[in-house]
Amino acid sequence: MNTLNPSRTLNHFLLKTPSLQLKFKTHHFNYIRKRNLNVKIVSELKTPKNKKISKKIILSEGAPDIVENQQVSPPKLGKNGGSPLLKFLKRAPRKVLSILANLPLAIGEMFSIAALMALGTAIDQGEAPDYYFQIWWILFFGFDHMFTSPVFLGLLVLLAASLIACTYTTQIPIVKVARRWNFLNSAVAIRKQEFTDSLPQASVRDLGVILMGAGYEVFLKGPSLYAFKGLAGRFAPIGVHIAMLLIMAGGTLSASGSFRGSVTVPQGLNFVMGDVLRPNGFLSFPTEAFNTEVHVNRFYMDYYDSGEVSQFHTDLSLFDLDGKEVMRKTICVNDPLRYNGITIYQTDWSISALQVLKDNEGPFNLAMAPLKINGDKKLYGTFLPIGDVDSSNVKGISMLARDLQSIVLYDQEGKFVGVRRPDSNLPVDIGGTKIVIVDAIGSSGLDLKIDPGVPIVYAGFGALMLTTCVSFLSHSQIWALQDGTTVIIGGKTNRAKIEFPNEMNRLLDQVPEIVNSSPSKSEILNG
Amino acid sequence: MILFTLEHILTHISLSIVSIVITIYLMNLLVHEIVGLYDSSEKGMVAAFLCITGLLVIRWIYSGHLPLSDLYESLMFLSWSFYIIHMIPYFRNHKNHLNEITAPSAVFTQGFATSGLLTEMHQSTILVPALQSQWLMMHVSMMILSYAALLCGSLLSVALLVITFRKNFEIFSKCKSNNLQTGAFSFVKFKYANEISNALKWKNNNLISFRNRNYHRYQLIQQLDCWSSRVISLGFLFLTVGILSGAVWANEAWGSYWNWDPKETWAFITWTIFAIYLHTRTNENLQGSNSAIVASMGFFIIWICYFGVNLLGIGLHSYGSFALTSN
Repeated sequence: MNTLNPSRTLNHFLLKTPSLQLKFKTHHFNYIRKRNLNVKIVSELKTPKNKKISKKIILSEGAPDIVENQQVSPPKLGKNGGSPLLKFLKRAPRKVLSILANLPLAIGEMFSIAALMALGTAIDQGEAPDYYFQIWWILFFGFDHMFTSPVFLGLLVLLAASLIACTYTTQIPIVKVARRWNFLNSAVAIRKQEFTDSLPQASVRDLGVILMGAGYEVFLKGPSLYAFKGLAGRFAPIGVHIAMLLIMAGGTLSASGSFRGSVTVPQGLNFVMGDVLRPNGFLSFPTEAFNTEVHVNRFYMDYYDSGEVSQFHTDLSLFDLDGKEVMRKTICVNDPLRYNGITIYQTDWSISALQVLKDNEGPFNLAMAPLKINGDKKLYGTFLPIGDVDSSNVKGISMLARDLQSIVLYDQEGKFVGVRRPDSNLPVDIGGTKIVIVDAIGSSGLDLKIDPGVPIVYAGFGALMLTTCVSFLSHSQIWALQDGTTVIIGGKTNRAKIEFPNEMNRLLDQVPEIVNSSPSKSEILNG
Repeated sequence: MILFTLEHILTHISLSIVSIVITIYLMNLLVHEIVGLYDSSEKGMVAAFLCITGLLVIRWIYSGHLPLSDLYESLMFLSWSFYIIHMIPYFRNHKNHLNEITAPSAVFTQGFATSGLLTEMHQSTILVPALQSQWLMMHVSMMILSYAALLCGSLLSVALLVITFRKNFEIFSKCKSNNLQTGAFSFVKFKYANEISNALKWKNNNLISFRNRNYHRYQLIQQLDCWSSRVISLGFLFLTVGILSGAVWANEAWGSYWNWDPKETWAFITWTIFAIYLHTRTNENLQGSNSAIVASMGFFIIWICYFGVNLLGIGLHSYGSFALTSN
C-alpha cells in the first residue's frame, strides 16, 4: 500500500477517526466520541512543543560548510586570476585552518557555549513573545529558544570546525613525532629531560629487562636504550575529537531526519503509527512500518504497599496491513517497544472511563474528565445524572478518582458516600440508586519516535567513553646510555608527572649493581 | 528495625571518629606535628570509611535499591567517594596534598548530610517508575564519583591560586574554616606554612631566606598543579561516562538521548569547563594559574549542577514534577 505522505497525515488523521469507532461496541459510542476528541487535542497540543524540542540540535549542519569553503576556495581563485591575489588565496585555506586550530579560539568557543547554555537555563524557554517584552535582546538573538537559536548553533558549528582543524594540524603531527622512537646518543641530551638519574656500576641491559617487566616497550641499540609506555594516551585525544564529531553528526541527523508523536489511547482502542508520527526535518521520510496499527490491549499500574504507583504497563499488539499480529509486548517506563526503527515509549497516563452498573442495568461507560492537574497530582471525575435528565437542574452522583485503585463517590447533595475499588463489586446505595463500579479504564500516554541518528550517536558515545579512558594513560618515555660503567637515565611523561619520578626511582632501585665492575666486563655486556 | 538502629549507630560512630580525626589534623598543623598522631588519624579515616560503607550497604539492603535516590543518600555517597579518593593514596603509601583536601571535604559533606537541615530526608523513599532501571547504578554512582573527584581537583587548584597570589604568608592568625571551601584551603595553607617554618627551624636561621621560601613555594605550586590535573582528569573520565550513560538511559526512559533539561545542561557546562581546563594544560602559556582559575570556576559550577538545579525543582531531574511520578 502507499506509504503515508507526511504532509497528508493531518487530514488523514481526522479522516481516520471514524474507523476507530467502528471497532467498538455500540453502547460505547458516547464515550468513544469524547475520547477521539481527546486524542486529537493531545496530539495537537503536543506536536508543536515536540517540534521545538527535537529541532534543537541541528548542530553541525554547517560543519561541512566550512570544510567546503576550504575546498571551494581554490576554484574561486582560478576565476579571479591575479597572481598576488592567487598567492593569497592559495594560502587562505591554510590560514583558515591555522586560525581555527588556534587553542585560545577553541577555548573561547567552549566558554561562549557554556555561557549560552547557562543563559538558556536561566531564561524561561519557549514562552510566547510577549513574555520577553522587557528585555529586547532575548528575542533579537532568539534566546527564547536558546538551543535552536542561530547564535548557539553557529557556535557549535564553529567548534566542530575547530575540532577538525585542530585534529588535522596539531594532533596528527604530534602523534607522528611521538611514534618515531628515537635514541638519544649524548649524555647531555639525556640529562636535559625532566627526570634524570645515573646509576654507577650498572648495565643498560638489566635496566631494559626491568623496564620490560614494568610494561615498557624497550629498544636497545649498542649502548643506547629507548623505552616507552602508554603511547595510546597520545592517540586517544584524536579519538576524543573524532567521537565528538560523530556525536555532533548523529545529533544533526536526529534533528533533521526524525519523526515524533505522542498519543493518549484508552485501553481497548487502536491507532495507526503514521497518524501519530510527525516529521521533524527535511530528511524525515516515512517508512513501510508507518502503516502498522497499534492496539492497546491493556493498561495497568503496579502499586507499592503505601498506595503509590510503582510502575505503568501497557500491553501493545502491532498489526500489519493484512491484520496479522506482528509483535506483542508489554511496555513500561524504561522498557520501550522497538519495531522496524519505531520506538514506542510509555510516558503518561490518564483515566478515560468508568464502567458502572446502575440498579443492575448496564454496564454504562462514563467518560472521565481531568479536573485538576496541579503539578503531578492527577484527579479525574465523572457524573451520573439521576432523575429527570432534561430538566435544567440536573442532580446526580459524582465519582472522583486519583488512580485506577479506588473511586470516591458523592451523592446529589455533594456529600461523601463511600470509596470503592473497581474490582470489589460491592454496591453503593445512594438515595435508592444502587451503583456498582465494574471497572476503571485507563488511557496510556505513548510517545512514538523514529530517530535515525541514534546508532551514530551511540557509536560516538562508545568511542568517547573508550578514548577518554585511554586518555588518562600517561605516555612515558625513557632514554638511557651506557657511559663506561655508569648508566645515565633520562625520562619524561606527559601526564603523570608526580607518579613518574616515584615509579622511576622504584624501578631503578631494582637494577642490580655489578660488583666486579671492570671496563672489559661492561663491554662484554654491551656487546 | 535492627538494620535501622544499626544504620543510626554507624552514622554516629563515623561522624564522631571523623571529628576526632579533624581535631588531630588541626593539632598537628597548628601546634606540633606528631607522627604517631598522624598515623592514628589515618587509621581513624579508615575506620570511618568502613562505617560509612556499612551504612550505605545497610541502606541498600533494607530499601532494596542502590542508596542513591535522594539528596541525603547522594550526599552520603559523595562523602564516601571522598573517602575512597582519600584511601587510594593511603594504601599506595604515598603522602600527598590530596589528604588535606579530601579529609575535610568528606567530613563536611557527611556533617551536612546528617545535620538537622535534612532530617526529613533520612527516611528511605520509594523509587518512582522512571528511576527503576539498571542504569540508575551506573549513571548516578559515576556522576557522584566524578563530582567528588572534580571537587577535590578544583579545590587543589583553588589552593594553588591562594598560594600564588598571596603576598604575605603569615596566615596563622587568619583562620576562617567555617565552610567546606575555606576550611579546605586553610588546611593546605597551614600545611604549607608549617613546612616553611620547619624548614626555617631546621636551618636554624632567623633571617627569612627569600630564596628558600620561593623554592618551597615553587615546589608546592608544582605539586598542587600536577595533583589537581591528575585528579581532575580522573573526575572528567567519570563525568564523561556518567553523562553518556545518562544519555543512553534517557533514550530508554524519556524518548530522547538529550533533552536540554537544566540538570543535563549544567552537567554539560561542567563537562565543558573541565574540558577547557584540560585544554589549557596542553598549552604552556596557559598552564599554572590560568588553568587553576578555570578549575576554580568549575568548583562553583559543580555545586550549581549538583544542588542548584534540584533546589529550584525544574526539569526532568527533579522527580517531583515529572509527570509519571504522580500517585
